[in-house]
Amino acid sequence: MVATDMSKGSAEMILLALLDARPRHGYELAKMIETGSRSKLQFHVASLYPMLYRLERKGWVEGKWVEKAGERRRRFYRLTRGGRKALADQRRTWREFVNALNHLTGFEHA
Amino acid sequence: MHDWPAYVRDRLPPLGLRPEREAGIVAELALQLEQAYTDAIALGAGDVEATRRAATQFADWSALAREIREAECRQFASRRTGDHCWNGFAHDVRYALRWLARAPVFAAAMIGTLALGIGGNTAIFSMVDAVALRPLPYRDTARLATIDTVQPKQPEIAPFTSAPDFLDFRARSRAFETVASISPVWSMVMIGHGDTERLEALFVSAGFFPMLGVQPALGRVFTPEEDVPGKDARVVLISHDLWVRRFGGSRDVRGQTVNLDGGAYTVIGVLPEHFRYAGAPMAGTASRIDVWLPMSSNPLAGSLRQVRYLKVIGRLARGVSLQRASDEAKSIGAALARQFPDTDTGFVIGVNSLASQVTGRYRQSMMLLLGAIAFVLLMACANVAGLLLGRASERQREIAVRVALGASRSRLLRQFLVEGAILAALGGALGLVLAAVGIRALTALAPRSLLFPGDVSLDLRALSFTVAAAAASALLAGLPPAWRMVRADLESALREFGRGLTSGTHRLRSVLVVVQIAVALLLLVGSGLLIRSFQRVLDVNPGFDPRNLVTISTQFPASAQTRAQRTSLYQAIHEKLMAIPGVRSVDAVSRLPLGGMSLGRWIFIEGEPMTPENHHDVEYRVATPGYFRTMGMTLRAGRWLDQHDGGASILVNEAAAHLFWPRLDPVGRRVKYGPDSPDWVTVVGVVGNLRHDALDIDPRAEIYTPYAASPLGGPVLVIRTASDAGPLLPLLASAVRSVSSDMPAYNAYEMSTLVDRSTAQRRFVMWLLTGFGAVALLLAAVGIYAMISQAVVQRTRELGLRMALGASPRSAMALVFRQGMRLLGAGMAAGSLAALLLTRLMRNLLFDVRPLDPESFAAAVGMLMLFAVLACYLPARRATRVDPMRALQR
Repeated sequence: MVATDMSKGSAEMILLALLDARPRHGYELAKMIETGSRSKLQFHVASLYPMLYRLERKGWVEGKWVEKAGERRRRFYRLTRGGRKALADQRRTWREFVNALNHLTGFEHA
Repeated sequence: MHDWPAYVRDRLPPLGLRPEREAGIVAELALQLEQAYTDAIALGAGDVEATRRAATQFADWSALAREIREAECRQFASRRTGDHCWNGFAHDVRYALRWLARAPVFAAAMIGTLALGIGGNTAIFSMVDAVALRPLPYRDTARLATIDTVQPKQPEIAPFTSAPDFLDFRARSRAFETVASISPVWSMVMIGHGDTERLEALFVSAGFFPMLGVQPALGRVFTPEEDVPGKDARVVLISHDLWVRRFGGSRDVRGQTVNLDGGAYTVIGVLPEHFRYAGAPMAGTASRIDVWLPMSSNPLAGSLRQVRYLKVIGRLARGVSLQRASDEAKSIGAALARQFPDTDTGFVIGVNSLASQVTGRYRQSMMLLLGAIAFVLLMACANVAGLLLGRASERQREIAVRVALGASRSRLLRQFLVEGAILAALGGALGLVLAAVGIRALTALAPRSLLFPGDVSLDLRALSFTVAAAAASALLAGLPPAWRMVRADLESALREFGRGLTSGTHRLRSVLVVVQIAVALLLLVGSGLLIRSFQRVLDVNPGFDPRNLVTISTQFPASAQTRAQRTSLYQAIHEKLMAIPGVRSVDAVSRLPLGGMSLGRWIFIEGEPMTPENHHDVEYRVATPGYFRTMGMTLRAGRWLDQHDGGASILVNEAAAHLFWPRLDPVGRRVKYGPDSPDWVTVVGVVGNLRHDALDIDPRAEIYTPYAASPLGGPVLVIRTASDAGPLLPLLASAVRSVSSDMPAYNAYEMSTLVDRSTAQRRFVMWLLTGFGAVALLLAAVGIYAMISQAVVQRTRELGLRMALGASPRSAMALVFRQGMRLLGAGMAAGSLAALLLTRLMRNLLFDVRPLDPESFAAAVGMLMLFAVLACYLPARRATRVDPMRALQR
């Protein structure tokens, strides 16, 4: 359970962070995670869409079908105000978590 | 060209969402595949390879569908989209079941604890329901009321009404639709249709059965014409049991003639199988009635206004309140007293609901048991909640990290509640089995005056109660850990890597243990009080010596009417019995002690004004001269009765002596049975008190008149033997029967069983409550043990450090003990406070013991201490064995 929650929680934060810059569609997000983490994150694309739907249900992101000139109709996701706040919270929690880890493991002094 | 949407639709299991939403998801997933395919082609892959790469995007379609469903169902999903959210719930259930299967011992302990609590509650509820809660089995019982003629001067005397008063009341009352009278239980002897048998009979007025709404199983009930005063209709209704037993259940029974007390009666019908009249006509006698006759056939039907022997009940007219009926009854009573001052002065007529009178007798002890067993369930829940909390704190790191990383709290909360619900459901199912066993045991052990076999069953009401108890358990057991999750200061928990969560959990667990200790103390004090009361009751001197003493009741044939006939029959019985080796003495009395109150008799004391309001209602017994010595009674003053004494001599008991002639010598004083009676009777001696009703009811004033003055038609024999009389009983009974084939011998038992029977209900309640107290004690000990053990495990590092720094094993032990004793102290304080407040409610159930009896409190505290110390000692000993090196390496 820890492992799935870890990846789920972190992946959610990653998605929010990626959408912070600008709205993106699912395929683009999948590509960015895969290349951006240099495949270090064990993150399967199959988890991406359920996660996006979950974030949508939470009201943190908003999905919309958009048709751009010369492109296919795609579903774009953008960060909502709630999502922005959640991202800020998670970033702070992560920092504290990492500090705590460092403190406990003595990692920062090593 | 691939049709990717079709590809997805073929593989993705139905999501069960709204069609538009589902179509949108399919389109989006198809787009993902199409893009992967296009990219692969652009990178130079062939069609087959590109298709393969696209296919790897979603390998496990059912897992994907599950995840989407779960995501779509999250928070508020149902409100927003109308989709149902049972998938996540099913997942929680599966997860909880897997977890239970992984820890079978732990699971069994929790389920067993809950089953004990729920099963116990269901069984006790079923009994209490049958005895005190369920409506009486008659039509529209809310309108049934008893009409009681009481004497405010002597409230201890059971209310009885005379036949003329009953008829006058019935004629005058407008508040009642029907008024019916019921006689005391009568003994009748049936000859023919097999062995001569003594039957229990009740005489009722014709309105009785229609008033209750009871239809006979066969035939008809009495008509008003059969119940006209002065007319002896000679018809009889028989019980279902008698019908089956003596008539083989034949439908031809209607119209058959039976010989009762020498008279021929025509059977007109059979009553329904389970029909019983709930308002016991006299204490403890309504258990089995064999034959029902119209009131007009009763030998006392034509008796005078001072002969009070009837119970009266009525059905209120529609729209009439109990209060209005009560007011009317009072005014009728007052009018009767003005009209018939000689007989009706000093009496007041009151109206009470039949249901409250019937259930009132047992309601308090039943509610006590129900309350106590509810407390046991509360403790079982606290134990399970404690175990779940302990488990939660074992998972502290996992939970802290999960929460910090975004796993929603509501999800964790639901998980805990689902775990509680599953435990409760399994506990409830097992509890039902235990309840079925428990009900069987209760029915077997309960005194017959309280419960009849077949009265209690696991019916729909019991099942509803079980479901409610299980649901309450689910909440009680699941909520504390779940609440802890919501309330946990998760950020600090994270900072301290779980420590915050642990300490909060620890606090909550401490509260649970304190509650358990408090409840255990309360139940122990309660059972202690009942045990002490019971001991006090057993210490009561019944006034006679029940050892080597037996009794047999008999009924002379109807042909034995004259004094001489009855005296010679008695003489014959006496000779037969005395001839049996081992028999020391044989005597007879009209009514045994400890059998409930008898009708009593009026006396007037010489020296007091001879007016009706100066009457005294006393217990009255006819006894052979040797009766007192055979019973082992004591003579306090004067002399015993002897064979020369006639109706002019009586003995009185001590209670009468104190009441009527305080500080005077009663011997030689005189009384009369009526103000106008010419004959005085003289007190020749004073005997010790006997307990008439029960051991725990004070004796009332009593007079004994010699057998010779009034030979009995149904003498109760008392027989003293040289040694244990039990084995002699069948021989003695057959000796009585051998005197005449028309004479039954019944109620043959040792007198010690009479004493036991009079305490049976008290003993039953005491044992049950003591059982609950013992279970509570065990649960509390287990609760303390589990909590302290876990604390020791959690503090191993600290203990190791302390020991590494030079602390002795003793001080480690002291550390652990202090923690346990703090809980014990808090629990004892709370429990004592609760006991101080609640034992007051038991006052009426106690005998000669105050609700704040220090010895009961001390015993409860001592017992609980002992168990608590033991429960702390085992983990504390483990604490002393902590190896500092290994502890610090952890």
